[in-house]
Amino acid sequence: MKVTLVSRSGREVIKGGLELHDSATVADLQEAIHKRTKKFYPSRQRLTLPVPPGSKERPVVLNYKKGLKDYCDGNQNNITVVFKDLGPQVSYPTLFFFEYLGPLILYPTFYYFPVYQFFGYKVERVIHPVQTYALYYWCFHYFKRIMETFFIHRFSHATSPLSNVFRNCAYYWTFGAYIAYYVNHPLYTPVSDLQMKIGFGFGLICQLANFYCHIILKNLRSPDGSGGYQIPSGFLFNIVTCANYTTEIYQWLGFNIATQTVAGYVFLVVATSIMTNWALAKHRRLKKLFDGKEGRPKYPRRWVILPPFL
Amino acid sequence: MATLFAALRRLYLSIYNWTVFIGWFQVLFLALKSLKESGHEHVYNAVEKPLLLAQSAAALEILHGLIGLVRSPVSSTLPQVGSRLYLTWGILWSFPEIRTHILVSSLVISWSITEIIRYSFFGMKEAFGFAPSWHLWLRYSSFLVLYPTGISSEVGLVYFALPYIKGSEKYSVRMPNKWNFSLDYFYLAILALGFYVPGSPHLYRYMLAQRKRALSKSKKE
Repeated sequence: MKVTLVSRSGREVIKGGLELHDSATVADLQEAIHKRTKKFYPSRQRLTLPVPPGSKERPVVLNYKKGLKDYCDGNQNNITVVFKDLGPQVSYPTLFFFEYLGPLILYPTFYYFPVYQFFGYKVERVIHPVQTYALYYWCFHYFKRIMETFFIHRFSHATSPLSNVFRNCAYYWTFGAYIAYYVNHPLYTPVSDLQMKIGFGFGLICQLANFYCHIILKNLRSPDGSGGYQIPSGFLFNIVTCANYTTEIYQWLGFNIATQTVAGYVFLVVATSIMTNWALAKHRRLKKLFDGKEGRPKYPRRWVILPPFL
Repeated sequence: MATLFAALRRLYLSIYNWTVFIGWFQVLFLALKSLKESGHEHVYNAVEKPLLLAQSAAALEILHGLIGLVRSPVSSTLPQVGSRLYLTWGILWSFPEIRTHILVSSLVISWSITEIIRYSFFGMKEAFGFAPSWHLWLRYSSFLVLYPTGISSEVGLVYFALPYIKGSEKYSVRMPNKWNFSLDYFYLAILALGFYVPGSPHLYRYMLAQRKRALSKSKKE
């Protein structure tokens, strides 16, 4: 069968098109494109069916597992596919690893090394117990996230644009350094012993709950990442749609109760607003998908992210 | 109900736009008058009251965008209004030493001409439902010259105010304190200068796109 590959502006991407056998899948087409243009490996390609000009409809994205025949009308022997270059891609584990590596290295730097000399503080640092516990708490948190990335999480998308690496690293690394600067400061003022214990205790429970949430989420997807959306259930998911975010937010609250810095609370507010946006989108998607019609289950009544508010 | 709301909205926006227009008109008039009569050192003192009022009223534009009264996105109004408020209150009002600088004149003149055109344009559209085509052209062309002059005056004024900011402890918070917080207004000013580097070309490109859209649309009609 003959495949004509055009860009979104209608220009032909591969001159003369591609000739594939009749039972070829979309994955075969992606491989064929990759062979012709070495730059465009499969995850960089976005293949869609052309939409009639002026139509406001979203184009159909080709699923790599399906056969090309499934997208042809009738028994035509040629098909036109729209090609878009998504730009350089990185795998999700790579993206997450570099995001979390920054805070994991930067934070101990402020604790162990005499960095405050460069900010004009010549005095000898006296380290408060809360600063040592905070170091362990912080490092445990990011170590846990890296381990989860490699051994627990299953990703619905294989790759992410390379530019996200720079954006996300800027976010995590800057906030990591900003918080580390204040918690390890020579002029740091600790909170009471009781407040510190409540904060770290509560935070630790939330981290463990967060870990359990991630295991539940992992079991919703089959090992190859397919299976589509499922209704999350069990443990805290019976109350909240995004219990994984809830526990993440509350564990940062615990850290902030124990360390009490404005920097930490600023991070908490920013992180909460980002996760709330994601949670609202996911909640909406699940409610739309599981509408209780035509035999589909109905999505149960649940909080979105922050019970008892949202 | 809907028509009542639309009428109230129009009435409110007409009054808002024309009021702020008068403010900026005063700024321009007083600036030119004092330039002619007593020199650039006296421009700030002459325009202070209407300048602070008119510029602070622009904060309402963020609110207008947030509640959906106007269509312009908050993501573009916020940095524009934010940087202006920073200049007027955070630099000029806070550090009197900088007020006699020559750049105050170019700043105030660039701002006021831009705003006179802009507020009267939207005032016309809200009050009378139309604006003449030359007005539309001016609205989407004057920035070509006035943005560069305005923005370089802004950057220059922050830069020349740096020694005065460093010399004073104004707005700075030092450790130790209960909330483990510190703020250095001097470094904040440097950070603000840093934002202008990607910010100004971005804003200029945004306005160029707006211009292209607005002027090509008017041709079609």
